[in-house]
Amino acid sequence: MSVAVASGGGFGRWADRRFKYLLILPAVLILLLVGVFPFINILIVSFQDISLIFEDRSFHGLLNYKRLFTEARLWQAILHTVIFTLVALPLELVFGLLMALLFLEPIRGRQVFLALLIIPTVISPIVAGATWRLMFDNQFGPINQILGWAAGEPVPIIWIVQKGFVWPAILIAEIWQWTPFMFLLLLAALSNVDKSQVEAAQIDGASNLRIFFRIVLPAIKPVLAIVLLIRALDLFRLFDVVWALTQGGPGTRTETLSTYAYVQGFQQFETSYTSAIAFVVVVLLSIVVVLALRRVEIAR
Amino acid sequence: MTAVAPATVPVYTAPPWYRRAKTWQMVARYAVAVGLTIIFLFPVYWIFIMAFKTPEEVFASPPIWAPSSLQLNSFRKLFQDGEVISVWNSLVTAGVSTLVAMFFGTICAYSLARFRTGGNNLAIWIISQRMIPPIVIVFPIFMLYAALGLIDSFFGLIVLYTAFNLPYVIWMMRGYIEDIPLELEQSALVDGWSRWQMLWRVVFPMVKGGLFATAVFAFIFAWNDFIFALVLTRTEVTTFPVKVTSFFGQQQTFWAKIGAMSILGTLPIFFAVAALQRFIVRGISLGAVKG
Amino acid sequence: MKKTALFTALGSATALLLAASAPAGAQSAADRAVEAAKQFAGTTLNITWEAGLQANDPLNFSGPRWEELTGIKINVVEVPINELFTKTLAEHRASTGAFDLLNVVPAWIPDLAEAGALEPLDDFIDKHGYREELADIAPVYRDNQMAYRGTIYGLPDDGDVLIMYYRKDLFGDAAHQAAFKGQFGYDLAPPDTWAQFKDITQYFTENRPHDGFYGSAMIRSPGLIHYYFEERFRVEGGEFFDAETMKATINSDIGVGVVEGWIAEHEFMPPGAEAWGPIEVLNAWLAGDLAIMGWWPPPGRWSAGYGDFEILSFVPESKVAGKVGYALPPGGAPQLAAGFSLAVSSDSKNKEAAYLFAQWLNSREVSLERVQLPFALRDPFRTSHFESPEYQNLWPDAKDYLATLQAGAETGLLDLSIRNTFAYEESLTRAITAAFGGDDAKEALDRAAEEWDRITDRVGVEEQKRAYGDWIAKPNAYPN
Repeated sequence: MSVAVASGGGFGRWADRRFKYLLILPAVLILLLVGVFPFINILIVSFQDISLIFEDRSFHGLLNYKRLFTEARLWQAILHTVIFTLVALPLELVFGLLMALLFLEPIRGRQVFLALLIIPTVISPIVAGATWRLMFDNQFGPINQILGWAAGEPVPIIWIVQKGFVWPAILIAEIWQWTPFMFLLLLAALSNVDKSQVEAAQIDGASNLRIFFRIVLPAIKPVLAIVLLIRALDLFRLFDVVWALTQGGPGTRTETLSTYAYVQGFQQFETSYTSAIAFVVVVLLSIVVVLALRRVEIAR
Repeated sequence: MTAVAPATVPVYTAPPWYRRAKTWQMVARYAVAVGLTIIFLFPVYWIFIMAFKTPEEVFASPPIWAPSSLQLNSFRKLFQDGEVISVWNSLVTAGVSTLVAMFFGTICAYSLARFRTGGNNLAIWIISQRMIPPIVIVFPIFMLYAALGLIDSFFGLIVLYTAFNLPYVIWMMRGYIEDIPLELEQSALVDGWSRWQMLWRVVFPMVKGGLFATAVFAFIFAWNDFIFALVLTRTEVTTFPVKVTSFFGQQQTFWAKIGAMSILGTLPIFFAVAALQRFIVRGISLGAVKG
Repeated sequence: MKKTALFTALGSATALLLAASAPAGAQSAADRAVEAAKQFAGTTLNITWEAGLQANDPLNFSGPRWEELTGIKINVVEVPINELFTKTLAEHRASTGAFDLLNVVPAWIPDLAEAGALEPLDDFIDKHGYREELADIAPVYRDNQMAYRGTIYGLPDDGDVLIMYYRKDLFGDAAHQAAFKGQFGYDLAPPDTWAQFKDITQYFTENRPHDGFYGSAMIRSPGLIHYYFEERFRVEGGEFFDAETMKATINSDIGVGVVEGWIAEHEFMPPGAEAWGPIEVLNAWLAGDLAIMGWWPPPGRWSAGYGDFEILSFVPESKVAGKVGYALPPGGAPQLAAGFSLAVSSDSKNKEAAYLFAQWLNSREVSLERVQLPFALRDPFRTSHFESPEYQNLWPDAKDYLATLQAGAETGLLDLSIRNTFAYEESLTRAITAAFGGDDAKEALDRAAEEWDRITDRVGVEEQKRAYGDWIAKPNAYPN
């Protein structure tokens, strides 16, 4: 081996090449097996007609893709997903930012606080779902109880049924779970902001607001971008909390793209139709991810 | 921090009330910090105490905030009924898949970092694999696994979690490897070490912290998976999240067992996270934030 | 430990009884199954079973016993009820042969049989002489939950029926009787109509014996609520489809009336009852906070304190033992909600062994033990169960309980079972929960009816018409 290195020249480069491909080989093989096979599979199945009733593997053209456009429930679910993302993301960002500002100046025991505050984000989604079912239970849950103390009379809100409360309930659970994520990342990003610039601006008499928008925000922008991307992609897959709390109900009021896909694919066995949804989702997500990551990569 | 502080103090002349105000501010900040922590941990507390409540306490309305006694009955029953084996299954599948993903992922990351193998396209393809919602691919994988006879096997689930975590590991480790200076590897090669020796003795020790942190997150992702485990297991390899859902029946809901299982399923994660404080931020931001 | 001692006691008592009563030479179907199964000793059968209490039966009782008798091992695959259909069909589509014996909800049989997932059982039944004992299964289960298009696919194994439980101490109280009659003009008794039901719940909510007491609570949670809709809708004269055109007719005045009736009744139920599932209802009932409630058969046993308390530790102890009366719901035609049949997987490599285990489980004497297990959930489904002196003496009112179940088994209404049944149920459920959430009931049901028509179109109107025709030909599809 050492000969290869010592002799250099052509042989060394060849060894290099073999070595570098050898290193990526196992990982790429596994990813191809588990990552690419399903992708091809859903593509093929989406052109067939497989459902609970039929198992027709002949080519049916765009049958299932046409159905995408006629199912109002699908579009409603997408709309819910988009609206929810647009509401949840800014709220998480603002709460995360406020918390980050709180912990930005060193505070004794900060590490302990951080270790505890991260728990909602790393806990199992199944456990989180069960937790919020209990929390929002109108009879056995503590939330109505606490509201009752504040109101001075029993509060009978049925969070998982009543029109005006289902979305807030899901929103609260979601914000609980992911604000710590925003918080930690923003805290790290803020800690890396150049302090001398801030101090210089302070001496010049700039207002805090101005300092934030002129100096701090531009400095944390790259981090903000990637964090928002990660969260937006997660929210696009929003499933666990919704399923645990409302299963998309009442009616289809809280149905998201993922819960809809779950009902169609897992419960009703609309295999081909769900594959068409899946294919479109995967392609769209891939485009978004690749475009976004290219910018980050180039910035690297 | 303390080293820098004295230098900045002379610039700013504190008014006479400065110190008192500072203390008051500190107290306020503490109060808010503690309050926030309580708010964020309370739901977790709420599910955990289910394990210790009697049925009467579980179904008390208004709810009871602290059980009258800390009974370990539900834990005893998890052991007695053999349900606790699912925690072991989770440990094995998440643990082994993490080790495998760490090894293959790190060497792949090394190749990407040092030789730019496949350029940006390969790297982006790899990370984009991670963005695919599991729900949309689990059925094709079920069919594939059925054909290969891998359903309900440790091997099958481990391969899947390995694949699931590889993009993350590769992405993270590439960043950590890029952070270490190239000179050490070069001098190792000049000293006549083989490339594998160089990887093993120089690169791995240099990224030890990153390896550890990445491994813990990979472990958590596999540990928390529900949908793959639900579809790809039957009896032998059921993991803890799948077991938790089986406590919700049509005619019964075992809240005490759900609480106890939640504790068992959360403690390992909690300790892992507490142990790697320094790396949390970089870990959850896919390496975007160096922390 | 306690558990095991109890099974053994139960088991040996029955065994002795049988040994004493069986004429020499005559073999029961259970014995025949055991004899025939011995040739398969050493194999393992994989069986699906609903996760939770249901699975205690094969895990702790029937599985070990069968292994002891035949040398065949039983591996129980516990599946949460919501995943059971998916898992069954998915394994079939992938032809894994992973399951030998299946627990299927009878309403799924058409879909599963058409998909080819279920093995026809007629030949096995004849070969192992089981026809005669099948005749003992209560008619409504036997005639409806067993066969599809003339072929037997499942052995009905669970007498699920949604009956009413009421507090006979309160209903029998002279003061309440007088006051009720004074207010409503008729005698206080278990309701014959849903209008009476509402009167009774109103009365007991307004004249509550203690704080936190309400007239009633019923199961209202998604996944189950459609059973109650199907029952009341039919009892009040509704039909699901126009049998000629297959247009959905659930949005008729009757359908809207059912949903609006419920919403009105919520006033006399505990706060939040529109979201209650079986557990919440059961809990309030056992705590003595309800005058009347609807459920499957197990609370009849649990209320009486008959059961293994260790295993029942998910609910508080019963405070209503000895105070429980049993009745059929208004209209006298209870929904035979869900239930289970035992079916053999067409992909099994041990079909005969799997069938024999099913025959043994389902046989007269073994099933009698199983429906009495203090910790599992199988409910009486044979005439011989209802008439068993042993069962009738399990607790003081057990006789009334069994009589009510038997009456339900005669008049009970079948779950709607056509092609793609689950899609219809899901759509209906969403309409009902939307109305609970504040939407207009009529509009919600109109939407559901539209969705039903689309599902029908996708299945094929003719195909569905045929399936629906098969279904309504059964005696218990609509009330007589």
